[in-house]
Amino acid sequence: MNLFLRQLGNELWKLFGKKRTYIGFGTFLVAQNAMLLAFHFSDWQQGTARLLEGNGYLAEEFISALTVAVLMLIPQIILLMPLYACLVGGDMVAKESEEGTLRMILCRPISRVRLLTLKWLAGMVFCVVLVASLGVMAVLFARLWFPWGGLFVFAPGPVRVFGIFTGWEGLAYYGASHLILAINACTMFGLAFLFSSFNMKPAAATILALSFLLLNLVMEAMPFFEEYKELCLTHHFRGWLLVFQTPVDWLRLGQSLGILLGVNLTAFLVGLAGFHCRDIKS
Amino acid sequence: MISFCGITKRFGQRLALDDLTLDIPAGEIFGLLGHNGAGKSTAIGILLGQVWPTSGRASIDGHDVLGDRQRALARVGAIFETPVFYDYLSGYRNLEILSHYTGPTPPARIREVLDWVGLSSRSHSKLRTYSHGMRTRLALAQALLPDPRLLILDEPGDGLDPEGLHELRGMIRRLHGEFNLTILLSSHLLTEVEQVCGRIAVLKAGCLVFSGTVVEATRQQGWVRLRSDAFELAAARLLEQGLVVDQRNGDSIRLAEGVGVEEVVRALVAQGRAVYEISPQEQTLEDFYLAIMGSGVARTRQPGCPGPVSDGLRGTSEMGGDRT
Repeated sequence: MNLFLRQLGNELWKLFGKKRTYIGFGTFLVAQNAMLLAFHFSDWQQGTARLLEGNGYLAEEFISALTVAVLMLIPQIILLMPLYACLVGGDMVAKESEEGTLRMILCRPISRVRLLTLKWLAGMVFCVVLVASLGVMAVLFARLWFPWGGLFVFAPGPVRVFGIFTGWEGLAYYGASHLILAINACTMFGLAFLFSSFNMKPAAATILALSFLLLNLVMEAMPFFEEYKELCLTHHFRGWLLVFQTPVDWLRLGQSLGILLGVNLTAFLVGLAGFHCRDIKS
Repeated sequence: MISFCGITKRFGQRLALDDLTLDIPAGEIFGLLGHNGAGKSTAIGILLGQVWPTSGRASIDGHDVLGDRQRALARVGAIFETPVFYDYLSGYRNLEILSHYTGPTPPARIREVLDWVGLSSRSHSKLRTYSHGMRTRLALAQALLPDPRLLILDEPGDGLDPEGLHELRGMIRRLHGEFNLTILLSSHLLTEVEQVCGRIAVLKAGCLVFSGTVVEATRQQGWVRLRSDAFELAAARLLEQGLVVDQRNGDSIRLAEGVGVEEVVRALVAQGRAVYEISPQEQTLEDFYLAIMGSGVARTRQPGCPGPVSDGLRGTSEMGGDRT
């Protein structure tokens, strides 16, 4: 166990020692600050105030750091998070194979199963850290421009959410939604990791995973696919918003989480089978 | 120490290795030769469990590489193809990471191998600042970390300058001498192989075409260098007597089958010739290699498995001798 943890530590060291690992963190930082400026200086505040007051709530109380942080998450989760989770997932095995370090590792008596498990776990840790950083940075930066207060979440899309929470209650839900976001990120990572485990270039693995996710998003949005939307992964990625529903649709949330965990495990096992069977050749 | 038994490997339609059977005894420096695509790296890949054979089995120290890879590779160090490291980490950190894939390695052991390859002073510098020679030495250091009994070196001299090659040759000899390591060396550098290896195997298009000692490879079969007075007359007399079948260059004779040097000397003395020198004629390993690659030789095959590999020039016996 001690050796396993040490090996996992080494995988994390390798992962976080690379500059390109931080591209995602850097982009989130820039995107969040750009959005904050837009929220602060645009008429977004007036529109939100009208919506809240129209529903009988006091607007000043809910135009807060937490509300802005949740709002900022939506575009980042749809556009940026898949990109960075897949980028790291696609690199995880294929990059080492392409560069030749995988051959160096496999000259040693470590089994392929153990090696892939270590890499997968390191990727999972990366996803959790990425999502946690995303959430913490969003609240901290929002707090620089907006006051602390209650949380207002409004999502008119496929998952209809209209949630009003006090500050600390909202923070707890915000934390819970990030747990689900971390599972989403792990699933995105897992898909790219699956392709990366086969004999292909890292960019190809990333693009394949992103294409699969995009295809899910497109299919789900098609009206004639309405009956089958539950087959789409992106449908289940919306679980993080369900946390803010009152009352929470636990059945739907449980189904989505179960499916995501199942997809994660399946992707890992298929990747493992592919990795185990392939020849490691330059 | 190493045993390939009936190993065949196909990549799609391409046959990379064809029924390779070869034993490499412990304590040898063994050279694996062959042209690009001959199957050397595939054979080493199979030995390291990185390439799955289509059929056959490979073992190290009696442990099947496919079925018991962990035990088979427990005391193996290898540089397989171009050594690549994590450029953004230090040499020391690279070794630490790689060593943990084998098992817990005390920092003292890492420092010891770094010292052995002469990289102690630069061990904490980032890899991207290392020269090619330093990377090769680091590769050797990582191979030595698990305190190996077997060292597999695949083209270790690639890209090294003459000083680097000299240094590498010295290191290989030291490793063999000081630690009694078995070394499997795959290389295109025939002069290097000739200088350090005791035995060699030659692969051609996936087939084993020669396995034996370097002495056997470089000895020209049947050709003897002869220095005596009136060489032409002496050789003509020996031809008449049926002791010799050919002569060339005014200093070489080819003995008839079954005839020993002592019979020739006896005949020459009987002729009243002065014999100044008589010795087996040798060729360079390069001459031998080029001859073997240029000819359509039959492969050496070893019936039954396991067992000792075919030694000497079986199937290739005339190659050296026919060259002039």
